Amino acid sequence: MKTLFTKMNALLLTILILSGCSANSFNDLFSSYSQQMRGVKQAQNQGNFQQAISLIPKRSSHDGSYNLGLLEKARLEYLAKNNNQSRKGFAHAYELIEQSQQQAKIELSRGLENVAAIVSNDNAVRYDIPLYEQSMLHSYQALNYITQQDLSGALVEVRRANQVQEKALKANSDSINKSLANANNEKFSIDNLPQQYPSMNRTIGDVKNGFQNAYTFYLSALLYESAGQPNDAYIDFKKALEIYPDNHYLQQDVWRLAKALQMTDDLALLKSTFPRTITKKNKHNNNQGKVIFIVENGIVEAKQETSLSLPIYTSHNDVRLYNVALPSYSNQLTVYSPLTLTYQGKHYQTEEIVRLQSLAAKQLQDKLPVIITRQITRLIAKEEIRQTLARKGGDIGNIFANIYNIVTEKADTRSWSTLPDSIQILTLNLSAGHHMLNIDINGVNKQIEVSINKNRQTLVTLNSIGAYVDYSVFNL
Amino acid sequence: MNKLLMTASFSLALIALGGCTNKSVVRYGDATAVETTNINFGSTDLQKVASQMTDSLLISPVVGTLTANTRPILFVESIKNKTSEHIDTESITDSISTKLLRSGKFRFVDMARVAAVREQLNFQQSGGLVDSSKAIAFGQQVGAQYMLYGNLSSIVKSNKDKSDVYYKFTLRLLDLKSGLVEWADETEIRKTKEKKLVSW
Repeated sequence: MKTLFTKMNALLLTILILSGCSANSFNDLFSSYSQQMRGVKQAQNQGNFQQAISLIPKRSSHDGSYNLGLLEKARLEYLAKNNNQSRKGFAHAYELIEQSQQQAKIELSRGLENVAAIVSNDNAVRYDIPLYEQSMLHSYQALNYITQQDLSGALVEVRRANQVQEKALKANSDSINKSLANANNEKFSIDNLPQQYPSMNRTIGDVKNGFQNAYTFYLSALLYESAGQPNDAYIDFKKALEIYPDNHYLQQDVWRLAKALQMTDDLALLKSTFPRTITKKNKHNNNQGKVIFIVENGIVEAKQETSLSLPIYTSHNDVRLYNVALPSYSNQLTVYSPLTLTYQGKHYQTEEIVRLQSLAAKQLQDKLPVIITRQITRLIAKEEIRQTLARKGGDIGNIFANIYNIVTEKADTRSWSTLPDSIQILTLNLSAGHHMLNIDINGVNKQIEVSINKNRQTLVTLNSIGAYVDYSVFNL
Repeated sequence: MNKLLMTASFSLALIALGGCTNKSVVRYGDATAVETTNINFGSTDLQKVASQMTDSLLISPVVGTLTANTRPILFVESIKNKTSEHIDTESITDSISTKLLRSGKFRFVDMARVAAVREQLNFQQSGGLVDSSKAIAFGQQVGAQYMLYGNLSSIVKSNKDKSDVYYKFTLRLLDLKSGLVEWADETEIRKTKEKKLVSW
């Protein structure tokens, strides 16, 4: 009996030390990230951003999810309009991303994390910020620089975002090539997953290029145009259009710049694909400026934990059921009614430019094979622990091991969960001077005063979360 | 006896441990030493860019004729940062203008301080504290004849083995009267960093 306790103690100690070395907080062993963030998201939903910031779980800088905590905090600071704080937070997070990219090819500490993950759960592995989250980081950072009227700083962020998007493109083509190559000898594919695991196809939807972020392209195009680089703007507008080919505002921008830059080949091609309403109007009023609405809707949904019971044959050929927890997203998208702008009796509606929920679900789907592989290794390791304890400690050991296995079986539900769900855009040409615009979103009516400068852009960023609606106006 | 030995070895161990803990040390270093902390734009790049550009400008034959009998008046327009890093380009132009001033061949007007100058002149003219006969009158400053401007751009590439960054710095001297670019030069810097194979 005494030896059993020393053994159990030794096991507990190893786990604690391992989780200590891989430096994730003790909390992560027993509660999932989504559970820890529940209060934060509730406060965010009510528009209490300061309260939400105070509720973010504190993490030390050695913690594997420290970078994620920085992102959540910086995003909430952005919403609370503490742009300076937000800028510092994002800059720190970017520094960490850069550091991890410069790391050695083989990191021993990562190996240790994997060991810890195998005896506890995936939360022990350090969080790598996925590319779509990085593109959002740079987009918000660019807006933070805009609030300080630092266009050249914002353009630096735009270029960084562009590097991220290029990386995303390359990573995606690599993974397609790889999966084509292994198509025949693939051991595990998502299709083989048990029925219990929810399909996320509806969430991912038909987002072409689900890996690239059209909003980031759009924002960078806007900033390039403000900096007097219409050619760069044209390229990014076109990239955004590739992802959202039916967005009328994108079509307008591409058409306008194609004409201004005399892209004759493109014009001929675009004319055949664009609706007549866009290609026919070519009267350009010189005394006009452009107002752009960027509307952020809702909060991206948190990852859920799906528990599966996998039947596995033991060496004695009896079936045993094993509990396995996998992260997932629910298979449906929230529908947001577009913002309606009324000006001089005419109505204009926003159109979607990115669906972050879909990008998040796509990211998870791509990572699923790795998660499942690690899950299987963990099953074997935990079963090994159980068997050893059962052999040495009889029933008590068995019960202890089972409790430990069930309690620590937590899915890795970490993701940047304070991001908006959907982002929509609207542009309108107005004559120079002051204008009052009436907007209506989710039944909330607001009047927004904008000043339009000749041949310049005025940017309105609007956040709509539940009943909370707030906006800022910038003259670019 | 045993106890004594125990305490002795224990205190020895403590001292040894104390010796192991490293203290942070402050040192003075060479300001022009090559700095390779990371791959980003650093002090060595700034110094290299500034010194190469001023040397090139000062030995150029065109500038030799420009400065033959007179000291032309310059103003520095900003250096446009087209890289993917937040770089203080004003610091680069400061270095260049300081070096040029030191050469004694050029004179500068400082556009960054126009507001402060205006405020001071306003104070002298209408503050009531300065003797109006000795106050500096408006409209006596000399305008610049040449404009110095440039671009700093970069190309960043990286793969799983190494990262590479290439900087190109272009500087031009424009005659404000004729609109002609009298002189231009560029400096290139390439830095690569190979990743370590194994680390903690």
